[in-house]
Amino acid sequence: MLDLKLEDIDGILVRYNVALEKEMTPDEAAEELYPKDELIYPIAKAIYEGEEDDVVDALQAAIDAGKKPIDLIDDALMVGMGVVTKLYDDGIIFLPNVMMSADAMLNGIEYCKSKTTEVPEAKGKVVCHVAEGDVHDIGKNIVAALLRAAGYEVIDLGRDVPVDEVIAAVTKEKPIMLTGTALMTTTMYAFKEINDKLLEKGIKIPFACGGGAVNQDFVSQYDLGVYGEEAADAPKIADAIVAGTTDIAALREEFHKH
Amino acid sequence: MVKKYTSMAYAKADDMLFGNSKFPVKAGLGLEIGAGYTTPELNYAPRPQAGKSKDKLVKEYERITTDAMARMVQIGAPSIVLETEHVEQMSNNPDWGGAVAHAQKTIMEEYHDEYGIKCALRHTIGDIREDRDYLQLRGDKYSTFMAAFEECAKNGADLLSVESMGGKEVFDYSILRNDTAGILFGIGVLGSMDMEMIWKDIAAIAKKTGTVCAGDTDCAQANTAMFIAGGLLDKNLAHTTAIVARAISAARSLCAYEAGAVGPGKDCGYENTIVKSIAGVPIAQEGKTSTCAHSDLMGNLTMQCCDLWSNESVEYHGEFGGTTVQCWSETLAYDCSMMNVALKTGKAKDLRDILVLSDKFRDPQGYVLAYDNAYKVGQAIAKDGNNNYLRAKNAAIECCKIVEEGVNSGKLRLTRFETSALAKVKADLVALTDDADKFMSDNLTKFKQEVAVFRPANYGL
Repeated sequence: MLDLKLEDIDGILVRYNVALEKEMTPDEAAEELYPKDELIYPIAKAIYEGEEDDVVDALQAAIDAGKKPIDLIDDALMVGMGVVTKLYDDGIIFLPNVMMSADAMLNGIEYCKSKTTEVPEAKGKVVCHVAEGDVHDIGKNIVAALLRAAGYEVIDLGRDVPVDEVIAAVTKEKPIMLTGTALMTTTMYAFKEINDKLLEKGIKIPFACGGGAVNQDFVSQYDLGVYGEEAADAPKIADAIVAGTTDIAALREEFHKH
Repeated sequence: MVKKYTSMAYAKADDMLFGNSKFPVKAGLGLEIGAGYTTPELNYAPRPQAGKSKDKLVKEYERITTDAMARMVQIGAPSIVLETEHVEQMSNNPDWGGAVAHAQKTIMEEYHDEYGIKCALRHTIGDIREDRDYLQLRGDKYSTFMAAFEECAKNGADLLSVESMGGKEVFDYSILRNDTAGILFGIGVLGSMDMEMIWKDIAAIAKKTGTVCAGDTDCAQANTAMFIAGGLLDKNLAHTTAIVARAISAARSLCAYEAGAVGPGKDCGYENTIVKSIAGVPIAQEGKTSTCAHSDLMGNLTMQCCDLWSNESVEYHGEFGGTTVQCWSETLAYDCSMMNVALKTGKAKDLRDILVLSDKFRDPQGYVLAYDNAYKVGQAIAKDGNNNYLRAKNAAIECCKIVEEGVNSGKLRLTRFETSALAKVKADLVALTDDADKFMSDNLTKFKQEVAVFRPANYGL
């Protein structure tokens, strides 16, 4: 077969990912971000490494040393997860690392809860669903994991969720935000129906939508729609809402990229 | 028992070429696929509101079909395949799918009768075998699923396909956690088992209705990996992991042909060059012409051995140059015209190699799928062709080896992250047992515990 000389390849394509790779390894970058407290450090490190057993061992050590389990959620588990999400946002680690860390963090939260009668307070509540008629849920699962990793309580309605079930959940749970994902053009039309029914009830919460066939133009057609191009946008939109930006137009201004 | 492939269809990689397959397939109205020429395959999606009723949906597909056929005639294209990928309403209500097939084929027959344009209609049934919470691969929906094939076949569909979902529940969990054994179990073992079951039944329907039992794609799994992996700067999945999933998927997609399918394989099966090397069936492929649906890193390379050249999917609406189906079918047709000229002038192998080299070093995924390397993955599969697990594992290990060779040549450059992800996958694979029964038993136990939605009964286990 025909072939290219090594020196000719750069004129055909550029591997920008290789050319621009950060000097620092992920482990080195994480080490710089861990808290220095000797009881908190091993918890944060175990979260970064996604080692559930190590998280529990380190939590127990901290509890034995007098730390309150309820405080460890915010002061250790969320701090460790903060290291992970910062490294992900900076392009230093990849999504599977975040997912494994999120699993370890959730396991750690359950452990802390089992050691106290106090109830932890989430940053806010978000309802997530996949559009009616659509069973493709890996995108929603990533969104839910990233939201939980960012400290939000997630009410996960699952996939193929009927419109009225979404409305009922929003009415009952009173979330700060609703998310919807869809892969197909004909199923994403349900988002518009949800929008209309929420407005009929006088509920005006941001409705963050994304996924395969969903695009910014479509989401902009209904009043509550905010388009999220990537799963990682979901916690950022939630953070913006918690910080006070609840106006849809303002959220669109910030998150609509096209 | 289905007959498994244990040898290669082609004596050497260089024998593989676009527009030519070892076993061409006659279909529809005067068309022969893989018989010395390439044909555009147009794929489309109805507008969101079109799914509101059966009448609206049929009307939408009538508009799509008329627009596309008219444009093909206007530009002098000699052949076209239309692919209708079912929206869920059409597969959950087989009479809807049948009505759409009938409406489309009626229009295509009119164009064929009037202009002589060679054409065929592919219907890709939606894999509706699930409920809200679980896959329901063998449950109540199975009969509806099969009825959808039969209804379309009886009403005008010429080529029957599906993008089946077996193994996806385990795969989705595993790919997000870098679990190599889970990726292999989901695609190579569970996916293959489900494929063997459904394709025997689809083949029987095709035989009964005189239609073509075409083929499948591992869209649900290998494409999920490819899409999560994304572009060069995306940080969601190592591209070296994604290509290992793809190599495994070839062993899985091959099962359709072992159960009676004859091609053309589905466009989004980027594993199809590997499959073609083993089975010799014609294949559809997509690349630069599917940017309307998604981005990939091998837009030219995938054309290398295609028999049908596709745009993956585009929503039906207006553009400056006409409706989307007119614009994209025209683009496809001109690409096919170029390939067909290359075939007639004896320049086809040069064109194939130019297409390959424009992308081969862009990314490890394209590197492994380049036909010379794809052929090697095919050989690794055929070596243990009788054992679904071993052949999938072989494909994965061969894939790692090919990437390493590319890196050692200096031409394929990886990031440190891709390099370490590759090393992890390879170490995981090497540590796995060669005993398929033990692998099955270990992973059944593991994933029953870890994946709440995994139900072994879906696989007869």
